[in-house]
Amino acid sequence: MLNRENSIHTLQNNVVQEHAGIKFQELPFMTKINLRGNPNDKKFLSSANEVLNTILPTRTNIYIKIDSLKIIWLGPDEWLIVDEKGSDKQDLFSKLENSIGSQDASVTDVSENRTVIRIMGKKLFMLLAKFLTLNLDNSLNSSSSVAQTLFIRVPVLLMRHHEHNREPKIDIFTNRSHANYVYKILVDGTQNLDF
Amino acid sequence: MFLIKCPYCGERDQSEFNCGGEAHIVRPKNPPDLTDDQWADYLFMRKNIKGIQFERWNHSNGCRRWFNVTRNTATDEILKIYNMGEQPPIVTGIAPKTPSGETSIGSGNISTSYTKK
Repeated sequence: MLNRENSIHTLQNNVVQEHAGIKFQELPFMTKINLRGNPNDKKFLSSANEVLNTILPTRTNIYIKIDSLKIIWLGPDEWLIVDEKGSDKQDLFSKLENSIGSQDASVTDVSENRTVIRIMGKKLFMLLAKFLTLNLDNSLNSSSSVAQTLFIRVPVLLMRHHEHNREPKIDIFTNRSHANYVYKILVDGTQNLDF
Repeated sequence: MFLIKCPYCGERDQSEFNCGGEAHIVRPKNPPDLTDDQWADYLFMRKNIKGIQFERWNHSNGCRRWFNVTRNTATDEILKIYNMGEQPPIVTGIAPKTPSGETSIGSGNISTSYTKK
């Protein structure tokens, strides 16, 4: 596992902080690879599927999980592959590049671009609704939903983890430089959740 | 502020999108043969209609895809959303509605009659 300092000063070393029943954690470094290619190109699809050992999701705004990998739909020809095992970064990247690199497609290592803030808690949706214009009930309606949107003015990707009727658990992917700001705004928002 | 239905992500707030200006402007096939005026007209001159306008929009804070929108600029009513490369829908006969119910003559609506040189 690669050791990197987290973006949020108060959430180093997998510390979980709780504010008004909402738990916050910044996840450790993860490999993130941006993959672009034509989903109608059979050669591209079969190469990607072979390396990833699964089928790239073509349904909008969902992600699929297989072992330590999460494959997130970003657009009709764009995916984000997240590998929780940061140590396999070069391995997965070079496998994809060797398999797809020569085709009309792109494989880009964007691991350092975003960090992930995991938040959990019963009133999580109420907290997020304070800062988002997104209709959370429609956009994050299943345990495999993702949504790209604006948090105040910060571009974020929201990934739902919890099953229906379970305690909400959501990952917020945000630029490393914005992570501390997003975290502080969220913590501030927990102050009056008890009404 | 208004809602735009992204073809991929569904209904989202306008703040997630960027407007790319007028749609269906075709690049001239013979740029070297154009006069400076014709080239400037292609590059810079855009309609600024009060009424039905065809525009390009990008879901810049979502799926980052481009698509076309037919919008009434007076009311922000979106009449049609269609993919890039598709022909614009026929919307003649729809009188541009304005919040104040202005008449078409003697108001800003007259600018809809602007035609390019």
